[in-house]
Amino acid sequence: MKPEDAARALHAYVDGELDAVSSLALEAELASNPSLRAAHERLRELSASIRSNAEYYAAPARLKEAPAAPRRRYALLIPAFATVAAIAVAIGLLATRPGEDEALAREAVAAHVRANLSGRQIDVASSDQHTVKPWLSARLPFSPPVPDLSQAGYELTGARLDYLGSAPVAALVYQRRQHVIDVYVSRDADPSPRSPLHSLSRDGFNLEHFGAAGLRYWIVSDLSPNELADFSRLFAQR
Amino acid sequence: MNDRRERFERMVAPHASAAYNLARWLTRNDHDAEDVAQEAMLRAYRHLDGLRGEARPWLLAIVRNACFSWLRANRPAEVEPLEDDVADALPGPETYAARSLDRRMLNEAIAALPVQFREVLVLRELEDLPYRDIARIAEIPIGTVMSRLARARRLLGEALRVVAVPRLKVHR
Repeated sequence: MKPEDAARALHAYVDGELDAVSSLALEAELASNPSLRAAHERLRELSASIRSNAEYYAAPARLKEAPAAPRRRYALLIPAFATVAAIAVAIGLLATRPGEDEALAREAVAAHVRANLSGRQIDVASSDQHTVKPWLSARLPFSPPVPDLSQAGYELTGARLDYLGSAPVAALVYQRRQHVIDVYVSRDADPSPRSPLHSLSRDGFNLEHFGAAGLRYWIVSDLSPNELADFSRLFAQR
Repeated sequence: MNDRRERFERMVAPHASAAYNLARWLTRNDHDAEDVAQEAMLRAYRHLDGLRGEARPWLLAIVRNACFSWLRANRPAEVEPLEDDVADALPGPETYAARSLDRRMLNEAIAALPVQFREVLVLRELEDLPYRDIARIAEIPIGTVMSRLARARRLLGEALRVVAVPRLKVHR
């Protein structure tokens, strides 16, 4: 065995990573070569010393807990006045457009803000559509679609149950960068086909609404109107 | 709703100290280590469905990525690519002076290693991981794990020799 090969093999040997054949060769070399033997001894000592003397930093206690239903850092930072203002604007905006849809849109925005403010955004935390969908189906009189849009950069983070227009609805929660997107899905009493109704946009909260296959969708986020429209289109295609 | 939480607490949470220890050695301070490790735990929680096989190397890969993202953003000079794999992983272990190791000096010497050497050393000596796992976590070939580890040990030995026992006779 050449000296440089032996020196290199020594590390793998000490780490228990040298194959059997090479180990035998190295052991034979060790038996006949005192300086290699001394090197081996020092290497073992160094390794043992690191293991017993180097700091092993113990985790702070809070790191050991499962994260609470994924918290949105910024949700905690939304100053209350901004939220109130946003609701007031949304209400003011929608109040000028009377009708059932507007009432629901208003509720959807309020539900979105409330969920973000309270931190109760998610009852079932999962990025797996096959976990979220059965969870919702088991608790609602309908089964909302839960498309996987992660390829397009919209990550599913979970879902919760919510209440819109005096009826239980599914709230799917997606995330894009720091923006939370709530998709409220309710059963549509009116069976006539629906197409996208409208988009609304005011002061950071944007809303898309459409109906399909007996279900109605309210999509609320502080995402930009363009991105939310993209999301809405992708969602509707699945 | 608590399947994921239960699974996380059973499989991942026990390795929180491994996560923190790696983050602490790579960021080299408590405050940033906690932030980075926390972020990694959250990411692990979200991507728990992607966990196959052993949890600890899986988690450490997430932590390592979070650390390197943090380093790239905050200490870009530390993560400049290495000139790797030159034969100077040799001349081997002749320079070690382990007997004079002092706890504080040892920790300082490890902390002073370039981060690419520090990470393989910590994963090998403090986490006792096999080369295969280290290669996966650090995203380098196994041969590079070996040469970086050899070099890390050599640098460490030299640093400690110089500091600790300047008159030690060295065979070269």
